[in-house]
Amino acid sequence: MKKEMDVDDHQLSVEDLELKYQTNVNKGMNSTVAGEILLRDGPNELKPPKGTPEYVKFARQLAGGLQCLMWVAAAICLIAFGIQCGQGDLTSADNLYLAIALIAVVVVTGCFGYYQEFKSTNIIASFKNLVPQQATVIRDGDKFQINANQLVVGDLVEIKGGDRVPADIRIISAQGCKVDNSSLTGESEPQTRAPECTHESPLETRNIAFFSTMCLEGTATGIIVNTGDRTIIGRIASLASGVENEKTPIAIEIEHFVDIIAGLAIFFGGTFFVVAMVIGYPFLKAMVFFMAIVVAYVPEGLLATVTVCLSLTAKRLARKNCVVKNLEAVETLGSTSVICSDKTGTLTQNRMTVSHLWFDNQIHTADTTEDQSGQSFDQSSETWRALCKIVSLCNRAFFKSGQDNMPVPKRIVIGDASETALLKFSEITLGNVMEYRERYKKACEIPFNSTNKFQLSIHELEDPRDPRYLLVMKGAPERILERCATIMIKGQELPLDEQWKEAFQTAYMDLGGLGERVLGFCHLYLDPGQFPRGFSFDTEEMNFPTSGLCFAGLISMIDPPRATVPDAVMKCRTAGIRVIMVTGDHPITAKAIAASVGIISEGSETVEDIAARMRIPVEQVNKWEARACVVNGGQLKDMETEELVEILKMHPEMVFARTSPQQKLIIVESCQKLGAIVAVTGDGVNDSPALKKADIGVAMGIAGSDAAKNAADMILLDDNFASIVTGVEQGRLIFDNLKKSIAYTLTKNIPELTPYLIYITVSVPLPLGCITILFIELCTDIFPSVSLAYEKAESDIMHLKPRNPRRDRLVNEALAVYSYFQIGAIQSFAGFTDYFTAMAQEGWFPLLCVGLRAQWENDHLQDLQDSYGQEWTFGQRLYQEYTCYTVFFISIEMCQISDVLIRKTRRLSVFQQGFFRNKILVIAIVFQLCLGCFLCYCPGMPNIFNFMPIRFQWWLVPLPYGILIFVYDEIRKLGVRRHPGSWWDKELYY
Amino acid sequence: MARGKAKEGDGNWKKFIWNSEKKEFLGRTGGSWFKILLFYLIFYGCLAGIFIGTIQVMLLTVSEFEPKYQDRVAPPGLTVIPRVLKTEISFSISDPKTYEEYVAGLNEFLNAYNNDQQANNMIFDDCSEKPEDYIDRGAFNNGQGQKKVCRFKREWLENCSGVLDTSYGYKDGKPCVVAKLNRVLGFKPKPPLNDSLPPEMMGKYNPYVIPIHCFAKKEEDVDKVGTVEYYGMAGYAGFPLQYYPYYGKLLQPQYLQPLLAVQFTNLTLDMEVRVECKVYGENIHYSDKDRFQGRFEVKFDIKSS
Repeated sequence: MKKEMDVDDHQLSVEDLELKYQTNVNKGMNSTVAGEILLRDGPNELKPPKGTPEYVKFARQLAGGLQCLMWVAAAICLIAFGIQCGQGDLTSADNLYLAIALIAVVVVTGCFGYYQEFKSTNIIASFKNLVPQQATVIRDGDKFQINANQLVVGDLVEIKGGDRVPADIRIISAQGCKVDNSSLTGESEPQTRAPECTHESPLETRNIAFFSTMCLEGTATGIIVNTGDRTIIGRIASLASGVENEKTPIAIEIEHFVDIIAGLAIFFGGTFFVVAMVIGYPFLKAMVFFMAIVVAYVPEGLLATVTVCLSLTAKRLARKNCVVKNLEAVETLGSTSVICSDKTGTLTQNRMTVSHLWFDNQIHTADTTEDQSGQSFDQSSETWRALCKIVSLCNRAFFKSGQDNMPVPKRIVIGDASETALLKFSEITLGNVMEYRERYKKACEIPFNSTNKFQLSIHELEDPRDPRYLLVMKGAPERILERCATIMIKGQELPLDEQWKEAFQTAYMDLGGLGERVLGFCHLYLDPGQFPRGFSFDTEEMNFPTSGLCFAGLISMIDPPRATVPDAVMKCRTAGIRVIMVTGDHPITAKAIAASVGIISEGSETVEDIAARMRIPVEQVNKWEARACVVNGGQLKDMETEELVEILKMHPEMVFARTSPQQKLIIVESCQKLGAIVAVTGDGVNDSPALKKADIGVAMGIAGSDAAKNAADMILLDDNFASIVTGVEQGRLIFDNLKKSIAYTLTKNIPELTPYLIYITVSVPLPLGCITILFIELCTDIFPSVSLAYEKAESDIMHLKPRNPRRDRLVNEALAVYSYFQIGAIQSFAGFTDYFTAMAQEGWFPLLCVGLRAQWENDHLQDLQDSYGQEWTFGQRLYQEYTCYTVFFISIEMCQISDVLIRKTRRLSVFQQGFFRNKILVIAIVFQLCLGCFLCYCPGMPNIFNFMPIRFQWWLVPLPYGILIFVYDEIRKLGVRRHPGSWWDKELYY
Repeated sequence: MARGKAKEGDGNWKKFIWNSEKKEFLGRTGGSWFKILLFYLIFYGCLAGIFIGTIQVMLLTVSEFEPKYQDRVAPPGLTVIPRVLKTEISFSISDPKTYEEYVAGLNEFLNAYNNDQQANNMIFDDCSEKPEDYIDRGAFNNGQGQKKVCRFKREWLENCSGVLDTSYGYKDGKPCVVAKLNRVLGFKPKPPLNDSLPPEMMGKYNPYVIPIHCFAKKEEDVDKVGTVEYYGMAGYAGFPLQYYPYYGKLLQPQYLQPLLAVQFTNLTLDMEVRVECKVYGENIHYSDKDRFQGRFEVKFDIKSS
């Protein structure tokens, strides 16, 4: 679907069109024929992208990698239980409980994930516009108002200012019709629509109005040539849906992690299974070992933790006006290394504003900030007053009534973009323009047209005693200059000699070079003798002078950049993110805006600039010297992908102008080929394929079209580019915090695993049960691991380079090794110390425990002797075993409290980070302790979940190990800080 | 972003295991392996040291002679001999092989009670042959060396002693079982209060005996159980108090706990009969979860042919 549009309707004559679409340009279609075509083509609306059925979504949540492992574990439990039942052994239903617990875990986390997805889908659904659009159609010679989705190809429709174009229309007749194509091509200036074919490309020609663009003014009639998904917009939208969604980096990281974990779990489980079989355990028992190890290894709560971390950040971002549709996108933003930004509406304000004035042979800068907080220029000159008068009077735009209390920039104006800009400008500098115009009554007016290229009006003067008329004119500067004989400098009319003409040219070139649209202004006080009051001016005859005027000045306008953008671009730079501008606008304008927002930094030159400076041909310039580069859509069309990649490598500062939607897509792909994580910002329909292709698409909430919002992963509600920077910061923070959270989660796998290891190899009574493991994984440790998501950044993460998705993994070797073999090992020792303490204090000395397993678990042996010769029944031993579970559980908990404290930082000392800064974490620790107490001391626990009330001192036994963990990690961090790059840093920094 | 994870073919794997260019095995050079292994050697050495140290310190706080806590082992369980699978005694009178294991089990257990095992006067004490009060043998330490132990004569079990009838009544369909109260160090079982006993036991009441009573588990089996004979010291159906308290493996290595033999002389044959035996005492409790605490249950299934 990556080919340019092939439409030729704009080149056909009206008669051919009538023939082709069986219609009539006066009477419209026959309504029966229209009905048939409607049946054939379907309604005129964009098909929503195909959704996944709900049950598939839910099933997907239940069938992830870890979930499958859990299903297997549950199945093993059930089989084991079944076999036990079959043998009539009803002593314990543990396996059944465990299977139920495992299934519950999978289902609950599945529901949780599904709910999250459901919620975000709802957000998307709410964006869809539900109000049906109406259209005026002529059928059988009569006008009807019908729903726009009932229109068919060949229908004759009328559009007028303020309408949304209901389909792709070939214009038959038009009166001053202008449309806003900015959502399609990115041009912010209104485009004239007329019946003539002006360009062979359907996108450029004037006689086609596109579906979903706005008609700003004038009226037009036209024949529908395309409806629904076959419209240009529809094709772009389907282009967007044709682009498959790339997996987010965090999803890849988590997949990577799940792969490792699942691999390890199956490897260890398999090893233990084989060992158990070799040692001589029955098959069933060995299977249960396998299952227990899988349960111990799979971080059941991890996915929930990740989801919670992400949604927390999404909420935090929402407060800053970024709505995240796809949760995982939050992190993607953090790893972004290239931002491809649309210009119009994203970097700029998407409204024409007066930016420069030239009068008294001097260029003055107007205030272009959104809230008029900028500096104003010197307004004391007489020339300024004259110019200002012309600007106010020679202007047909007016404010919509009833907006007097609104700030000027926000008021709605009827009129085209440049007149609006001028009106607002004079309203701000002069005050009430409407009243001003009343005072200077208009005698006659010639509106702007493309042949004259000027606009003219004649006004009576304010002072009734002054009988003169004032003629004011504005238009294309060179045309205006032709008509002038004098020039006003400091209020004096001086003859317009070559010297002044030269000055004019310089100023005109300067302003044009800024990518701005320049208008010239002049006036003339008519001779009262020749034109007395009441003189009848004839606009057709032009019975008044239109030359020999007095030149007042130039005013240039531009769609100015948003105030916050340069700062945001700067921040992106320091964060190692490259900002590339991709726009449909003119190269000069694009370059000017790029330079003013810092995408092309000060002192950077393009190849052309260097050539101009050194006065050599472009070919001789060393391309590597040029930091900046502006590429035109035309050039891009002839370029191979490799060439584009080469250019992207060569020039760090890139601007793409005049690009088509397909080209945007290619640019994004090329960046991705370079290994970059690409964020694309945009608002128009033309951006939507690129938004979709990007690793993260960011749409504008106010200016953005629905298609863009649909394709995007994130929506900036305030259209503020600076919000992206916040997003990047949050995204990076979440990566760091997820790392910490995962490190915390992983650590306890080892103390959960070692009891089985020792149990099988040394045959001690089982120190830790499967259900207890589930409680650690899903109950007590969830809150602390989530609380790490609230941790503040350790250092200024916006001064670091974006992570390299291939090298900087979420879970790297150092992290796993440090968690497993160091902290996890200490925790295991803590658990076993506490286990042996509880056993010894109840009468089972450590050496007796070794090899005891077979007798211990023999449920017919009711008088097993302990170290003192006391005889224990099976039931008593079972409760003692539960006591051990609980003691081991508490040991892991105590160590995990220490663990969560050390995980607050990876490099800084916890004392530098502050113990209590993260309130949630403190609450989480308290909560964890309370939960531990509850599990231990709630009556009924022993028989349901195998928790026993344990003695107070057994809580204290693991404490020294907790302190050891803390101290050891502080030493590690100290070493990492003191000796960066050393062996210690390399091996122990994760 | 599948493209980031470009195909890492087998070549990369092989290279990972042994990279001949950099002389790396599993991503590390020899020197690097040496350093990291040395680090872990020291690390685990220290950890193991700390672990062993802590365990040693912990063991110092635990006395050899007296357990720190007994809340899991007391109140004691009641054990039945022979030890039977699934608490089921099932045999046929005509075929000695079917009850061989029960007899062997009883023989093995009762061997410790043979008179020749109890000859040494340094170890064994001449306690009264009538139930008497607890014998306090001092503190729970080896300050006075080992503690003496009361004798318990096998003959007291009469028909069930295995002396007269080496098949313990099994060949006649009158099976014996021996009950013992699990040893708990320092535990002094308290005889039940007079009024808390089942009426049928009131007759044999003795204030120095912890009585046992066996009865049909189910109401409908009451008739099938028939007569139950109890053989114990001085004909009392229970455990005399002078054997308590127990001083532990170190101080009383040869301790003989008092026994009680129970013979079912008139069991209904060819039918499953469930019998429960309970020991009664003020500080003896029963638990739903642990069916051997203070009681046991046996299912008899004796075939006449």
